[in-house]
Amino acid sequence: MSGALAQRGRLAARLPGGALIALLLALIAWEAIARLTAQSFFIAAPSAIVAHMTDHAGLLWRAFAVTLWAAVRGFVWGNLAGVLMALLVVLLPRAERLVATLALLVFCLPLVATGPILRVLFGPGEGPQVTLAALAVYYTTFLPVLVGLRAAPQGWFDLVRSYGRGRMVALREVRLPAALPYLVAGLQIAAPAAFLGAMVGEFTGAERGLGVLTVRALRALDLPATWSIAVIASAVSVLAFAAVGWAGRRLDLAPPQVLLASPVEARQSRWRGPGEALLALVVTLALWKGAMELFALPRFFAKRPEDVWAYMVSGPGAEAHRAKLLGAMAETLSFTAPGYVAGLAFGAGLAVVLTLAPRAASLTMPVAIALRSIPIVATAPLIVWALGRGAAGTIAVVAVMIFFPTLVACLHGLARTPRAVLDLFEVYAAERWRRMLGAQLPAMLPAFFASARMAIPAAILAVTTAEWLATGRGVGALMATVASTSDYGMLWSAIALIGLVAVIVHGLVGALERWVLSRTNAEQLAR
Amino acid sequence: MPDARRPDIRLTGVSKSFGAPGGEIPAVAPLDLQLAGGSMTALVGPSGCGKSTLLRLIAGLERPSSGEIRIGDETPDDLRKRAALSVAFQDAALLPWRTVAGNVALGRSLARRPRDAGAVSDLINLVGLKGFEARRPAELSGGMRQRAAIARAMASAPELLLLDEPFGALDELTRDRLNAELPALWEAHGATSVLVTHSVAEAVRLADRILVLSPRPARIAADIPVDLPRPRDGVVLASEAFREICGQVSAALRDGQEPSRLAAQ
Ligand SMILES: Nc1ncnc2c1ncn2[C@@H]1O[C@H](COP(=O)(O)OP(=O)(O)OP(=O)(O)O)[C@@H](O)[C@H]1O
Ligand SMILES: [Mg+2]
Repeated sequence: MSGALAQRGRLAARLPGGALIALLLALIAWEAIARLTAQSFFIAAPSAIVAHMTDHAGLLWRAFAVTLWAAVRGFVWGNLAGVLMALLVVLLPRAERLVATLALLVFCLPLVATGPILRVLFGPGEGPQVTLAALAVYYTTFLPVLVGLRAAPQGWFDLVRSYGRGRMVALREVRLPAALPYLVAGLQIAAPAAFLGAMVGEFTGAERGLGVLTVRALRALDLPATWSIAVIASAVSVLAFAAVGWAGRRLDLAPPQVLLASPVEARQSRWRGPGEALLALVVTLALWKGAMELFALPRFFAKRPEDVWAYMVSGPGAEAHRAKLLGAMAETLSFTAPGYVAGLAFGAGLAVVLTLAPRAASLTMPVAIALRSIPIVATAPLIVWALGRGAAGTIAVVAVMIFFPTLVACLHGLARTPRAVLDLFEVYAAERWRRMLGAQLPAMLPAFFASARMAIPAAILAVTTAEWLATGRGVGALMATVASTSDYGMLWSAIALIGLVAVIVHGLVGALERWVLSRTNAEQLAR
Repeated sequence: MPDARRPDIRLTGVSKSFGAPGGEIPAVAPLDLQLAGGSMTALVGPSGCGKSTLLRLIAGLERPSSGEIRIGDETPDDLRKRAALSVAFQDAALLPWRTVAGNVALGRSLARRPRDAGAVSDLINLVGLKGFEARRPAELSGGMRQRAAIARAMASAPELLLLDEPFGALDELTRDRLNAELPALWEAHGATSVLVTHSVAEAVRLADRILVLSPRPARIAADIPVDLPRPRDGVVLASEAFREICGQVSAALRDGQEPSRLAAQ
């Protein structure tokens, strides 16, 4: 037994005592702060929250059940899609760039914009909630499962080949079992995300659910109600996270494999990268237009690529549209970039600290899980109320959103340092920090970069949500405004620009990843 | 009289180089070679000289850069497709989620042989892993893993058995016991075998013929037949002839290390 599973097992075993004390202290501090800042109007005291919950138990319970059911269906569909896409990429490696780019683009669609559009498409009912819940999870399952399906040393594939068996047998005997621990890790992140997605789906014209109550509470500046919903959503998320982890441990999976085999020859022509990018662009545009024509969506609302081109470049007023959108985008990016970097740095840094000082983990992990699981839709207004509408509030929202997945991924990575390498440092009685620098940090890098890539859509989600619900600035607010005034040209232009920025940033992070890993972890590349 | 169950191996002009950023790395120089059906050939040579690569070429896991390999009247790929060869890999390549018994049984199921719990447990006994059937590879020592890999390679009763330093991590006693017991089994199976080893004594004890390879790119520095009676029991091992062949192999290995002498040949 080794690695991440053992580490998590130990954390779980230590959790109850430490967690209880931490929880108690936090509750007391919370109540005190709330009472001290009662006039500043953003923290509800635990006592007020409990009072609200008991007064409205029936209402909250019914809303909760509706949202949970939508989240569960979205969870199932989204994860199914993520796993199937990963399988497709593994069986058809040539399709990887295309599938990965499309997956990223769809994942980057800002909820602010997709919510209203899905509502128009589906009409009343639960379609948008389930769809958004599925959209919120498929990508965070797709990426780790894809890594897992490939996380097998060349020798295992040679073994299968030496008996003349093909790709399907390799899939069954090697790839799928190797991917299981990664699937569990992905599902763990997906569980809270599905709940969040379902809630956001309910923001736009749903009749029932916690999302509806959230919007009502925000409009009425009803503090205890907002906090009650945040507490419920967080509790559900923490429980879902823990439940999936528990189920994963019950499966008694072999620990994830660390690759020490030599890299496979992967010679690429110089034109392959740009060529694939171009192909992805063409396919995206074709799908965009094709879907709209196929379903004969009304042009007034479902803008085609050429409409966006006219709106932004060639049509009347294009210059004004461009200035407005680019100005908002620049403002948004100036908030997103620092939050993105801070979230990654903080997550990786805390993972290092927790590995160096494991005792601190039992106190920190529950708080970290709670932080991540509190749905951004509930926290964004609270954080912004606390830190103000300026840069600090938005940056904090982005950082909080990114920080936790990075922490978990980096902890996994650190725990995957090969035993033999650790032993080597042990033999020389190396100091902890030396072992960290020489052995553990390099082992962490692949996980770190994977989360840096996954954090891009998360940052977009966080920043647009915060701008929409709280600060009223940037692209998020712009999209909310134009959606309510039916300025669909601007809405689709904003979506397209966000997708473009996401893909470009993703490409830059990927290039940095390849550059660093080719020097530190060559065996993780290719294949 | 060629026997289909004991195919011979013919390499004509076979070479292999690997593409690398700094240019091609020649791993195996053009080789002409013929290994008799049913024989056991040992490959010895310095580390990194291309032994594993040569073995992988014969298994059809690598394409030769030039030349042709025939096994009986088939190609290595044909043999692989029939699941008529098996490889005990240098790094064992056990699947961590399968138990020892599961890994050995995999050798049969991958080769499309019917399930046979009896045969599996016989093999496990033979390699001395009785009592460890239900353990996972992570719970085994390096030598135990290699023994499980040997058992797996033999589980499909292959016509061609390729062993890449299978006893590399074993203690002297276990190694000795396996050296004593395995030949009988191979003879019963009738497989043509190629064994990579770093132990001169082991090569002489097990093989009918020893090929000493030069440093990379692999060339045949010496081709030494082993005309010792079988079974090679204590009497044979203590004989003058045995020691003499060991001496020849060691000398060839030493000579092979010096490129100047090679070039002069
Ligand atoms: N896939 C590969 N890509 C590039 N070079 C390779 C590859 N496989 C082997 N080589 C190179 O070919 C040479 C021969 O390697 P090989 O593994 O055959 O050596 P070996 O004789 O088995 O050594 P050892 O006794 O240490 O196992 C080495 O220089 C190695 O670097
Ligand atoms: Mg080798």
